[in-house]
Amino acid sequence: MTVTINGKAHQLSTAPDRPLLDVLREDLGLTGTKYGCGEGQCRACTVLLNGKPVTSCLTPARLADGKSITTIEGLATGDRLHRVQQAFLDAEAMQCGYCVPGMILRTVSLLEVTPHPTDAQIVEALDGNLCRCCGYVRILAAVRRAAQTTDGGLPHAE
Amino acid sequence: MSTTYNVIGTRPIRHDGADKVTGRALYGADLQLARMIHGAVLRSPHAHARILRIDTSKAEALPGVFAVVTAADFPPAPADKIVDFGEGDTLLSSLRGNILASGKVLYSGHAVAAVAAVNAHVAAEAAALIEVDYEPLPCVLTAPEAMAPGAPILHENLPNGNVAELIRYEMGDLAAGFAEATVIVERELDTATVHQGYIEPQNATAFWSSDGRIHIWCSTQGSFVARDASAAVLDVPVSQVKVTPMEIGGGFGGKINVYLEPVAAMLSKKAGRPVKLVMSRRDVFTGTGPTPGSRVRVKIGVNDAGKITAAQAWLAYEAGAYPGAMVGPGAMTVFACYDIENVLIEGFDVVVNKPSTSAYRAPGAPNSALATETVLDEIAEKLGIDPLELRLRNAAKEGTRRADGPRYKRIGCIEVLEAMKASPQYNAPLPGPNCGRGVAIGFWFNAGLPSSATLSVNADGTVNLIEGSTDIGGSRTSLSMQAAEVLGLRAEDIHPTIVDTDSVGYTGVTGGSRTTFATGLAVHDAAQMVVEQMKARAARLWAVDEVSFSNGTFSANGQSLTFAQLAAQLGATGGPVSCSATVNPKGVGGSIAGLIIDVKVDPETGKTDVLRVTSVQDAGKAIHPAYVEGQMQGGTAQGIGWALNEEYFMDADGDMRNGSYLDYRMPTALDLPMIETIIVEVPNPGHPFGVRGVGEANIVPPLAAVANALYRATGKRLNRVPMNPATILGL
Amino acid sequence: MDNFEYANPSTVKEALSLLTAGAEVLAGGTDLLSLLKDEVHKPKRLVNIKNIKALGGISKAGNNIRIGATVTLDELASSQLIRAAYPSLVQAALGITSPQIRNMGTVAGDLCQRPRCWYFRSGNGLLNKSLVENGENKYHAIFGTGSAQFVSASSLGPALMALGATVKIAGADGKTKDVPVAQFFKAPSAEGEREIALAANEIVTDILVPAPATKNATYEVRHKQALDWPLATASVALRMSGTKVTSASITLGHVGPTPVRATEAEKMLVGQTITADSAEKAGAAAVAGAKPLSQNAYKVQLAKVAVKRALLTAAGVKAV
Repeated sequence: MTVTINGKAHQLSTAPDRPLLDVLREDLGLTGTKYGCGEGQCRACTVLLNGKPVTSCLTPARLADGKSITTIEGLATGDRLHRVQQAFLDAEAMQCGYCVPGMILRTVSLLEVTPHPTDAQIVEALDGNLCRCCGYVRILAAVRRAAQTTDGGLPHAE
Repeated sequence: MSTTYNVIGTRPIRHDGADKVTGRALYGADLQLARMIHGAVLRSPHAHARILRIDTSKAEALPGVFAVVTAADFPPAPADKIVDFGEGDTLLSSLRGNILASGKVLYSGHAVAAVAAVNAHVAAEAAALIEVDYEPLPCVLTAPEAMAPGAPILHENLPNGNVAELIRYEMGDLAAGFAEATVIVERELDTATVHQGYIEPQNATAFWSSDGRIHIWCSTQGSFVARDASAAVLDVPVSQVKVTPMEIGGGFGGKINVYLEPVAAMLSKKAGRPVKLVMSRRDVFTGTGPTPGSRVRVKIGVNDAGKITAAQAWLAYEAGAYPGAMVGPGAMTVFACYDIENVLIEGFDVVVNKPSTSAYRAPGAPNSALATETVLDEIAEKLGIDPLELRLRNAAKEGTRRADGPRYKRIGCIEVLEAMKASPQYNAPLPGPNCGRGVAIGFWFNAGLPSSATLSVNADGTVNLIEGSTDIGGSRTSLSMQAAEVLGLRAEDIHPTIVDTDSVGYTGVTGGSRTTFATGLAVHDAAQMVVEQMKARAARLWAVDEVSFSNGTFSANGQSLTFAQLAAQLGATGGPVSCSATVNPKGVGGSIAGLIIDVKVDPETGKTDVLRVTSVQDAGKAIHPAYVEGQMQGGTAQGIGWALNEEYFMDADGDMRNGSYLDYRMPTALDLPMIETIIVEVPNPGHPFGVRGVGEANIVPPLAAVANALYRATGKRLNRVPMNPATILGL
Repeated sequence: MDNFEYANPSTVKEALSLLTAGAEVLAGGTDLLSLLKDEVHKPKRLVNIKNIKALGGISKAGNNIRIGATVTLDELASSQLIRAAYPSLVQAALGITSPQIRNMGTVAGDLCQRPRCWYFRSGNGLLNKSLVENGENKYHAIFGTGSAQFVSASSLGPALMALGATVKIAGADGKTKDVPVAQFFKAPSAEGEREIALAANEIVTDILVPAPATKNATYEVRHKQALDWPLATASVALRMSGTKVTSASITLGHVGPTPVRATEAEKMLVGQTITADSAEKAGAAAVAGAKPLSQNAYKVQLAKVAVKRALLTAAGVKAV
């Protein structure tokens, strides 16, 4: 199968039962995508598949054939962070940081579709991304902050 | 008293932030080593059973399998050997028994054997090939049942059946105190077993090299505790083990115990390769420490003036499979917020056939505060007094003696209550019908324990900070800020690194809300040593006796050098400056937290919406206020989940039925409102900046505050947590 | 998980030829992958139908709206055709949290997903009645059928049933058949039987929803706002003449092994105006036959309220 990952084409072969998460982490060394539950419930494993957020632990890798994937490693351009990454950093939107890659990717896709989300739209978008550390307050603030900056977008065209 | 600081109290960006937003931060499961193989753990399907036979031959014969271990591979633990890792005594046999069952399994999910193989898939397949013959035994799942005569016995060697420990604190004359009371209320409340719920599952990678050295990489709250516990279980000297703490994806007390580390080490010894073990979410729920379910009875008497005349508590906590339910802290904190003369507290640590419990944020305290704080709410209503006013009339203060012995030094109970009273939320009307407002407060001791730090001055004027405290919530930065304050530098001039156990002095766990306090003290002391050495260098340079240092500048006789300017000249004045400090602080300051919560209850469905929350806490001094607020918000969120939704569903044979996030029901962004925070600062005299520690006290009030709010909304006093639609409807 | 083979057909015919013994259909994978992980399903072959163009899309088809089997829940909820006519479907789809699941999960997958019963998911079978009756049954059926005490997990099923939709199925012999949603769901009577009328060598190709002539709505009751399953759902479709109901269709979800039709409540409403009172009475009638288990009597109350609120929402009467 052929998959474009963070803007680069990859030829992959993998067993059909393997979730995309395992292929990203084990075969490609993209360990920024996290395992939290393996059942699509914590969304720490969120990646963008053709620009849409999916839980990579429940996405059979084969379904990504011919598609493009963005992981947390693919957001920054060189040393320049994506504006959502910068907003999470500036808003101190993390404690342990484990849920952050999934949160950031979910936010990137939200802002692509809805550049100026209301608070209700932000909460709705992040409703399934679990954070156990911070009570979500700072994460929601980071999303609001990201929406107020315009610099940067996805470095890779979808 | 007001001290002005340059760095403390500001909100610099965290040092590890860029790694965490780019996915570069390496958590335990991200580790890749040459020749590394992968493991799987076989767990018991029975809650209580004798192990008759374990046959690993089929697993060993499977192609791709390198090693299989069972309890028989580990050195035997003497029955009465006690180990102490700084947070209290543990029986080595309990620690060993929980890691791999020997003789009996004591809970469903208890590890029985482990396999290392070429990949995780083959390891799981091999684990399924291990044959275990069990003789199932009757199981017992709750403390009251386990204390009843005729209950199945878990451990033959405990003197009182399933009661592992009896605690009794007594003060004054209880009968006389109740005789003075005009209002007496007694209530009994149960809490369900809940889990810490960190998103990163436990993991450990170990390599036992041929020279006998064991290197472990893991997700732990305390690398030295992981080292010491692993060494004890493996029966090797501590110096033979090196633990490298990886980034940690949450802990909340649940990542102090070791589960996988010694198993990975033993598999590695047999396989001759590094072995990685990673838990699944279900393993985390069924195999790692939840927090105890409990039954607590509290009786409080109050006179007409609203002064508590007597208070009595009876607590039974479920330890899970091995002793250690944290009923001690539950008993010590049950009346800790109040100045009461006549007190009797009895606590029971009860073993049951559930996973062995471990610490969870102020362990033991939310369970007991639930009872005290709801009883006080009821008393306030009966007396027609504002619930905060009733608490103020009884608030603990400097000199108040707790029933378990200690007298408070400075404590911020009154200040927290006053801040709650003055808060915008407490003074705002409720938005409409079916709404209720609840309040509660809680206490947590905070911990001291040893900590170490090394500071090395770089020629460019920055300073490297070497420390051993796992950073779960921003401690790299809160520690760097304390160094920067002393050295007159900016937080970003300090470069913190968390190192392995061979590379820094002994450091206790990141737990007990102690890191910013205790490791902070070590950093502060090391920084002061740096200042003294730098002053000596300046004195040599200028050939003077006295050099002063303020705001980052050394000066004497009209000459001055900034820290960076002097740092550049260290080579010429005697070589680099590097200072280490190890502390074992005694000046721990307890923290009081309070919560105000407004809820709306759908009277037809029992569904509860949390409308507004204000968390108030005495931080002593907030080093990085954003992190303090983050701790308060996080503890509050966990407390609300505990109060409303979370619980282990275990059926009669002890199987956990809801071992997934979906069925366990942790709060999401939609379930919580903005959590407002008010930081109170009553400085701790035992810390140079007044730090108390803020990680835990905030989870103590929510259970009771939610219960009180639900009462105000529905008129019902519920006697069980979680308070979900079924319990609220009473169906 | 055991290893198995993967097939990626581009036509329905090809897909059907691949559905030999031990093969299973893969669409969004959101349920199937967790079944594979729990080893509840152990297929020899997975047949991915996501690349079959004919199975996608939402379109007008005569008097019906046709929803392709692999339309995602997100596409369904954002479709103008659906939004204009079937608020009950949109409400049901949006009830499925979260966006990530709605992006992958498909309409047919929602209908075909296996029950969430925790005894079933841990390998104790679907019909282990004594385990459920004596065990943790807080989330089980209040309208059990024989040994089937689990609840249907489908979120769209109740709405589609109330709207009178049919499921189009293609079989191995190349023939297609239309099965009303009400008959698509069935309570199995023997272990190993499925809870849907779909043979292992058949594929759901489309769902046909009759032209909208109704006011419709879905109301779900959950513990929490998100990351949760409904405790009870009601979906209603009302034909009205002025303010009077001429016919009503009411289906309860998550209360029995299939969506449950509330026929008594439906009859009661004919000729009535929807008011808080008539809706309340219809709710009571809908749950009159409920047989709660030891721990789930509260679900009777929740189902009753769900019916009442779905009716008030559909009729545009302000709910509580």
